[in-house]
Amino acid sequence: MSIDWAKLPPPQPAPDLDSQGFWDSIGHGELRLRRCPSCALWHHPPLEHCRRCATPTEFEPVTSTGTVYTFIVQRQPAVVGYSALVPYTVAIVELDDQPGLRLTGRIVDIDADEVHIGMRVDSRIELLPGGDFHIPVFSPTLPREATP
Amino acid sequence: MDLSGAAIVGIGRTAYRRQSGRTGISLAAEAVRVALDDAGLAPADVDGMTCFSTGDPATPHRVSHAIGLDEIGWTVNTYAGGNQVALVIANAAAAIITGQADVVVVYRVLDAGVRYGKVTDAVEVGGVEQFSAPHGYLVPPQWFAMWARRHQHVYGSTCEDLGAIAINSRAHAVANEHAIARDPIDLDDYLAGRWIVEPFRVYDLAYEVDGAVALVLTSAERAKDLAHRAVYPIGAAEGTGAGGMPDLWPDQTSMYSRIVAPRLWERTGLSAADIDVACMYDCFTYTVMATFEDFGFCEKGEVGDYFRAGRATYGGDVVVNPHGGLLSEGYLHGLNHHYEAVLQLRGGAGVRQVDDAELALVTAGAGPYGGAIVYGTERPC
Repeated sequence: MSIDWAKLPPPQPAPDLDSQGFWDSIGHGELRLRRCPSCALWHHPPLEHCRRCATPTEFEPVTSTGTVYTFIVQRQPAVVGYSALVPYTVAIVELDDQPGLRLTGRIVDIDADEVHIGMRVDSRIELLPGGDFHIPVFSPTLPREATP
Repeated sequence: MDLSGAAIVGIGRTAYRRQSGRTGISLAAEAVRVALDDAGLAPADVDGMTCFSTGDPATPHRVSHAIGLDEIGWTVNTYAGGNQVALVIANAAAAIITGQADVVVVYRVLDAGVRYGKVTDAVEVGGVEQFSAPHGYLVPPQWFAMWARRHQHVYGSTCEDLGAIAINSRAHAVANEHAIARDPIDLDDYLAGRWIVEPFRVYDLAYEVDGAVALVLTSAERAKDLAHRAVYPIGAAEGTGAGGMPDLWPDQTSMYSRIVAPRLWERTGLSAADIDVACMYDCFTYTVMATFEDFGFCEKGEVGDYFRAGRATYGGDVVVNPHGGLLSEGYLHGLNHHYEAVLQLRGGAGVRQVDDAELALVTAGAGPYGGAIVYGTERPC
């Protein structure tokens, strides 16, 4: 049996008890991550209890802006459902809320050659083809100091 | 107590092929038999067996049965990739030193058909990858291309620097009849290689093969009576950071080796300058770059110049991957690096023998997790 990769959808997330709130909230149009109500530490990937002070964490809205820590340009098909999108750019973005708080996502609305480390980005939420899940993608924005 | 109460006394391997057409069990059993024969031992002498895999069917139980054993004592099947090769070998040595086993076989088999399976239907991904896979970001070349880009940004390293590592490995593989990729390449060839995931071209990635490698360990005492000069693991260290999650590692210009190198050098009383042969885990060229710096062979950002100046080959400071590494000998998940280190320290590497090789560093792993072993021709005093 031959498989037509291009016709298969992208990988779908399999939420767990700790992450369900992330997928629920992003499905309702809001990016929320787990945060410790006691010491204010953000956690991603999510943890039920704070890794620093062991307090139960809660989902809170996070700012949608951040800075590109590093990125790749995928030139060959490597992941099911993405064959038709190559070349595409994926970045690790450090969110403004906390040093080291990182989200991974595609960079859109800009040529791959123009993406650079340190670039300011804002996230928006898109439907993930193949199901009902939504994911964040990032697009370039003005430098932080130039933001009105 | 150090690990040199145990010794490596036998090495074995199958041919490395793009498609072997054989099962993992068959490949593993062949490599294990060859290694035992090399040691002058028989399957009946084996009472311990261990491997690492991500759920392959060729378990120590099955492989020990396949080489004719009706029973086996100490077995450990470690769920791991190349990041835990050093740990698996160190555990085998510890089992011998603590009297849990007398003769232990360590093996790794790769059989492309089963390693990652095949996609036949929609894919659901849980765990930490539930936050990355839906973005078309799932496989190791993508993770480590991220790291390489960061190093380029911080230290000004270049694709030409990564190319110098690939070219060095390939030049060594030319003399290695066991290597899968033996056509020499120069910088033009490297730069003409197709992009896979920027900043990685095709020559930056390990060359995947089917095959198996096996090592036989026994006590240093018993080793004296066996066929070959014993090779001793004289120190090992392991380290993991950021929960083993590549995207969370704080500074991607360094790897696990930032944790492991000081531990290893402290435990052995050695430094990079003492090492004759360095079998650096090279799933990607960048893995060599970051770990080579962390182990102290050169300063951050100097790897390209170091390799271009001939310091990583015969006649230089240290011979890096004389077999061609995962990049050119073949991707045996790093156990082939240990095979090569033993061969070199025995003086049995033929045309690619490193003169007066007495100490070999073998690293295992990339990114947030890994380990390393130093092997020597003599036990430490």
